[in-house]
Amino acid sequence: MSIKAINEEFLQQVESLQMLIKNNVAGLFGGNRKSKTFGSSCEFADYRDYVAGDDITKLDWNAYARFDKLYLKLYLDERQMHTRIYIDASRSMEYGKSKKAEQAIKIAATLAYLSVCEMDKVSVYVIREKSLEEVISGIVGKEAFISNIHKLNEIEFGGDSYISDAILPSKVGHGDGMSVIISDFLTDNDYERAIDHLANKKRHVFCTQILSREELNPLTRGKVHLFDSENINKTYRKHVDKEIAKAYKAALNYVTGKINDFCAARNADYLLASAEDSVFEIFFGKLVEMGVLK
Amino acid sequence: MTFLYPLGLLGLIGIPILIIIYIIKNKYTEQTVTSTYLWTLSEKFLKRRIPISKLAGLISLILQILIIAALSLAIAHPVIVMPGAAHEYCFIFDISGSMNVEENGETRFEKGVGKIEEVINDSLGGSYYTLICVDENTAVVFERETDKKLAIEELNRVTPGYASADITDAVDVAKGYFTNNAGIKTYLITDKTYQNTNNVEVINVGSQVDNHALSDVNYVLNGEKLTVNGKVISYSGDKTLTLELYLDEREQLTASKTVSASGEFTPFTFEETVTVSNVNSVTVKIKEEDALALDNQATVFNLKNENSYKTLLIGDSTFFLEAAIVTVSNAQITKMTSAEYEQNPNVSGYGLYVFDGVVPKTLPVDGTVWFLNVQGSVPGSGFSFQGVVDPEYAIKLEKSTSTSSLVQKLTYGVEGSNFIVSQYVKYGLYRNFTQLYTYNRNNAMVFTGTSERGNREVVFAFDLHNSNHTISIDYVALLKNLLDFSFPTVVEKVSYECGENLEVNVLANSDSVKIISPSQKETYLDTSSVIGEYTLDEVGAYQIVMTVGGAEKVYNVYSVLPEAERTPVQTAERVEIVGEASGSGLNGIYDIVIFLFALLAVVFIADWGVYCYDKYQLR
Repeated sequence: MSIKAINEEFLQQVESLQMLIKNNVAGLFGGNRKSKTFGSSCEFADYRDYVAGDDITKLDWNAYARFDKLYLKLYLDERQMHTRIYIDASRSMEYGKSKKAEQAIKIAATLAYLSVCEMDKVSVYVIREKSLEEVISGIVGKEAFISNIHKLNEIEFGGDSYISDAILPSKVGHGDGMSVIISDFLTDNDYERAIDHLANKKRHVFCTQILSREELNPLTRGKVHLFDSENINKTYRKHVDKEIAKAYKAALNYVTGKINDFCAARNADYLLASAEDSVFEIFFGKLVEMGVLK
Repeated sequence: MTFLYPLGLLGLIGIPILIIIYIIKNKYTEQTVTSTYLWTLSEKFLKRRIPISKLAGLISLILQILIIAALSLAIAHPVIVMPGAAHEYCFIFDISGSMNVEENGETRFEKGVGKIEEVINDSLGGSYYTLICVDENTAVVFERETDKKLAIEELNRVTPGYASADITDAVDVAKGYFTNNAGIKTYLITDKTYQNTNNVEVINVGSQVDNHALSDVNYVLNGEKLTVNGKVISYSGDKTLTLELYLDEREQLTASKTVSASGEFTPFTFEETVTVSNVNSVTVKIKEEDALALDNQATVFNLKNENSYKTLLIGDSTFFLEAAIVTVSNAQITKMTSAEYEQNPNVSGYGLYVFDGVVPKTLPVDGTVWFLNVQGSVPGSGFSFQGVVDPEYAIKLEKSTSTSSLVQKLTYGVEGSNFIVSQYVKYGLYRNFTQLYTYNRNNAMVFTGTSERGNREVVFAFDLHNSNHTISIDYVALLKNLLDFSFPTVVEKVSYECGENLEVNVLANSDSVKIISPSQKETYLDTSSVIGEYTLDEVGAYQIVMTVGGAEKVYNVYSVLPEAERTPVQTAERVEIVGEASGSGLNGIYDIVIFLFALLAVVFIADWGVYCYDKYQLR
């Protein structure tokens, strides 16, 4: 079932959001940012001593005339970044009254918009089973965004998803921007390999874990037989009492903490968002709190 | 243990039913969640539980089984039977006047009630309780009552009396119970000390208290000089008391004086000059308060005033009659000539109507009627006019020789041997009359009876001027007897001791006689009998309201606390139940239903707590 999360109203919200945070992006996005390496753009950066083998066209002859020494002019390298957004399209993202899928699409769309505003290239993928489906492919600019973003509404959620198995074989780029993984990460599947892989590819990784209110604070009590929406064979049969509720909270903290720690160790960002949070709450609340937005 | 209502145990059937329902209902709720990943993972974080915690899910069931069991048992009303542990109790409760003595804010009577309640409450179920209350009478309030609550309720309905108590009667009644059951425990609750108390346990609620009292208050009014005499006593040692004198129940103090009272009766006298022509009542009060207020005041009413009557004399020459009536009675006389009567024949509101030579148009609606030389028939009177007889020689009347009590009473003190009349009226009698004097046995000359309306009648068949009667000594005696017959003395005396019988002479044509006690309790006496009796059971002023022909006559008497009850503690007669007491008791019943209900309440609250705990996510 597709989610009609992207509509005119939402796009207006995103536009206003972009205007509000226009000057506050602290390195989250690339686009027309200057790279740490010196390149061949027109913008002067510095001088260094000439060494044999250097391009003599970069020599500053005026400086040679004044100092009688060869200096090479250095220019900032300027590259276009490529933001790749991966959306977990498993059944757990969409089951029941959960709004996780809708939230995932909204976050993806918002990040995509912020990226195109920075003149980055944006691709959106769906992780389905062990493969990726490209929903939006390398769009640049707002016009392309407007004309393509509705495709997110057509994402079908269902089945299982294997993040690492899907991302590892795919073309993820190298050092050219940010990779965003949006999932509930409620799986034993090895998503860690995917993060490692992206980090090794010099990509800035941003993991967004979306959980529903019921998952964050379950009210289930008494004798229950729970069935997994993704796999009917996975069940849980217990008399849920105070102790089990406590254990659940501990398990939740363990899972979120584990992802957070893993991301932190790889200089990646991690965001835990409730499916019921608004986009404003996420971007102005949590991301500011995390220091991603200032 | 036994059950009073074993059928209640049928409720235990509910337990298996509950278990079956529990098994049927006790299913796991199936629910699909987005992911069971966290739930499964939570197992690793679950603390190791103690085995008993596995029973947690069964707590509600266990509690509900307990509720059904407790409820069923409670309905079955289990009792533990303890042979010989219970007893039969007989309480002789002295509720005489002295039990009204107040000590530390509590009267002896209240203290006694508390003691009896204590014994009843401390006794084991299965016991029997009998309460005998004694004041001037002995009354069994309840007999062999088994219900503690009912016994205490009945006990609390008892009110203290004011009269003296005759314990002997009550002990005789208690002996009857002892004869039936020698194991009975007999208690006497009193404020008096008794010499021999064999088989009777005395609970003495009395103690030495401060008390003083008045006694024998009376007065004499001689012209304007009022002399009030009485006695005063202090039971708790010598003290100086202030006596206050009030007249006619007015609040205004007439006089006061201080007297030194001791343990013996000390006389006192007030001598006052009063301006009023008459005094209706004299009240003496002791100003100082003590433990028993009932004996600190005494009122004496004017007996003469209580028995005074309004009399209407109708006639043109009533001198002899008026003089005689005033001499021998308290009548307040109003006179009316025959011409005035013609103008107002329906006159009413008098106790006595005397028609002297005047034929009444109709009988008065109220009061006694005397006819003297009435030369005409009066409808409803019971006799008819047959003519005037004017004999050639004066005739001699014959006094009745009847031995009837009425004739004897009416002719008391009358010699009657020389009663001469020169002219008389002949009447035909068609109702029963008592003839006092006759002539030739066929002519009724002086007779009495009642009219159709019930009014008493006295008839003289001659004019007093035509007889020698008015100059005879018999005249006054006969007139007094007839006035007594016409105006029976409603109350013979005005001062009584509480517990005495008040005798009220009911007027023949009385509509009602009402006694109003000091506590405003109203009692109506039977007007069909000549004398109505009433036991004075309160201390204070009583009113006797007699309604005659729509008019009310009010009489006052005063009831004082009996002298025997004024002494707070006294040694009295023996209180003994002769016989060999047996130690055998009755089957004691220990009722445990209250504990079951308490258990039921606790378990119910616990189950409710468990329910709320689950329902409102407390765990």
